[in-house]
Amino acid sequence: MSDEPEHPQLGEVGEHPLSVLLFSWMRTKLFRNVMFIGLGALGAMLIGFEMVLAFQPIKDVTSVPGFYGIFGFLAFGLAVLSGWPLGKLLRRPEDYYEKRSGEAGRDR
Amino acid sequence: MTVERLADFLSNTNPGFFILAAALLVPLARDVVTRAIVMVGGPVVALVALINAEGLGMNLSTVQVLGLDLVLYRPDSLSFVFGLAFIIAAAIMGVYSLHRRDALQDSTAMIYAGAAVTAVFVGDLVSLFMAWELTAIASVFQVLAPRTRESGRAAMRYLFFQVASGMCVLAGVCLYAAAEGKTAFSQIAPSMAGLPVGVMDIGAPGAVLLLAGFGIKAAFPMVHNWLQDAYPKTTETGAVVLSAFTTKLAVYALARYFAGLDALIWIGAIMTVFPVFFAVIENDLRKVLAYSLNNQVGFMVCAVGIGTQLAVNGAAAHAFAHIMYKALLFMSMGAVLYRTGTTKASELGGLHRTMPWTTLFCLVGAASISALPLFSGFAAKSMVMSASHADPALFVVWLMLLFASAGVLEHSGIKVPFFAFFSHDSGKRPQEAPFNMLLAMGMAAALCILIGVAPGALYQFLPYQDSAIDYLATELWTTGHVLQQLQLLVLAAFAFMLLQWRQLYPAEQPGVIIDVEWIWRKGAPTLGDWLSRPLRRAGRGLAGLADGIGAGMAGAARQVFAPGGWVAAKVPSSGTAVLGLVILGIVLAIALFS
Repeated sequence: MSDEPEHPQLGEVGEHPLSVLLFSWMRTKLFRNVMFIGLGALGAMLIGFEMVLAFQPIKDVTSVPGFYGIFGFLAFGLAVLSGWPLGKLLRRPEDYYEKRSGEAGRDR
Repeated sequence: MTVERLADFLSNTNPGFFILAAALLVPLARDVVTRAIVMVGGPVVALVALINAEGLGMNLSTVQVLGLDLVLYRPDSLSFVFGLAFIIAAAIMGVYSLHRRDALQDSTAMIYAGAAVTAVFVGDLVSLFMAWELTAIASVFQVLAPRTRESGRAAMRYLFFQVASGMCVLAGVCLYAAAEGKTAFSQIAPSMAGLPVGVMDIGAPGAVLLLAGFGIKAAFPMVHNWLQDAYPKTTETGAVVLSAFTTKLAVYALARYFAGLDALIWIGAIMTVFPVFFAVIENDLRKVLAYSLNNQVGFMVCAVGIGTQLAVNGAAAHAFAHIMYKALLFMSMGAVLYRTGTTKASELGGLHRTMPWTTLFCLVGAASISALPLFSGFAAKSMVMSASHADPALFVVWLMLLFASAGVLEHSGIKVPFFAFFSHDSGKRPQEAPFNMLLAMGMAAALCILIGVAPGALYQFLPYQDSAIDYLATELWTTGHVLQQLQLLVLAAFAFMLLQWRQLYPAEQPGVIIDVEWIWRKGAPTLGDWLSRPLRRAGRGLAGLADGIGAGMAGAARQVFAPGGWVAAKVPSSGTAVLGLVILGIVLAIALFS
């Protein structure tokens, strides 16, 4: 993502007008920064809203304000970070099965 | 035929039969208009028939064959919602397939859809088995459709699992019918609140085999890999067709016969969790969606296992919503495949520039499957979550489902649209998808939004309508519920941004991810090879010995009988002549006296 320009032109030759309208402004670094900060701020606001608008007596861990948000953050992180060791463990070349399965029945 | 008789025929005939009849006309339809009329008209007639059904909870069509009473049409509120989803999906797929003509694939797709609709509306186990097998056979042609060596092999593996499922169901039906003498589910107790749901006791004869047959088709853990193997290898339309019917038919069968079975709760919970880890590292986006399908069916299986009215409603609602948004996601990836020739994440990116409509529809599917409020997944999945949360004994299961909810946002909500349409620019500038594809995606997207904005439109068709309406009024839109769901999604999306920024998100890499299919695609052949090695070695040794003996005998014979050999050198030619005469005499004597 770092190879993209700081302020790319909106749209390009041959680009669909709907794409220019809907998506071209998303290509800037500024958008990504705003999105990153905005999502964090929105998450914090939602936890705040929960405390104010939907407060309930704390009976168990699930009724602690922000439980869902923190769980979502951690669960997402766990799922993605597990991809590093799992990829090393489970990824094989594209022809892993076909080459072998073609040979499986042969008398070597 | 008078109008009254036609109306009577429509209201008393299994809607699946109309789609099956239309399927027979598909090869005859040459031009696109005729094909559109046949491929959309069949499901439309089926829909009219279903809406005008004579009544729910009654045997509307029965026939006796070989002494068996077959209930060909018995709609009720459980079958209605599944049948409705299948019919709408069949119509959308008819539109989606119009850009190219493949009579075999199109007609078998309609047979497959018709068989699935038939299966949910029949009222006995024997009829269910027949429709079940027809779905299996017709669906194989979707996998064969690309006509490549790879798809042919995948089709054979797919067929093996489908036939195994059918054999289990057949054996289960035979054992049950022989022991109990009845096959109509309305006669098998118990019913839940007047609806025949979860009618079979797991201890009944053949019940375990039936469960195994349904489980294979629902892609239970360890027998799930036929799905990830076959779906990504078919055509752009084939994967869409396959995604709609097989597993949801299995969910229907599980709900009908085994709702409330505790084992299903854990099986479903495991199904929701493990695909998350595979989907993260998978490079083929259609395979990612196949893992996601596993994960979503897990929610349904879990709900069926919980078996309360809310949970059964949740399973049915989720099945309906899932058919629409998963078809939408597969359609968007089908459009990408059609225009670029690949769905590998490592070869895609930046397609939004020239395929903005497809991008938009994919984002609607992604929002729906992620259960973002105002999209269909929220209206459907919330019921399953609430049903599991209601029972304190299921706290761990509920946590697993919550983890899976964050996981599905990762693989289907973000990964699929991000790597196909955004991410790094692949430099590919394909045309936008054909109009019929966009129209079909638009129809599915509209349904996703409609159900999300007005869940009552779906809830009115659910098996336990009162329970559904009560849930809509008291739980779905509560401030706490909406805020908690938004928190989960927003902070999970924040985690994505953070991981991208810190470059901790694993890059998409070419390669295959080994799963349980390794056992039969690699492990078994390797084991067989290893086990047979001593035998082959012994065989080679014996062959060498035989060769040696043969060569020795030939050498000895040459030494004795060759022109320069022992006989020629030592025995006079007169002796040879006498010996020849003796042999001839013996032969004549045998011929004379035998």
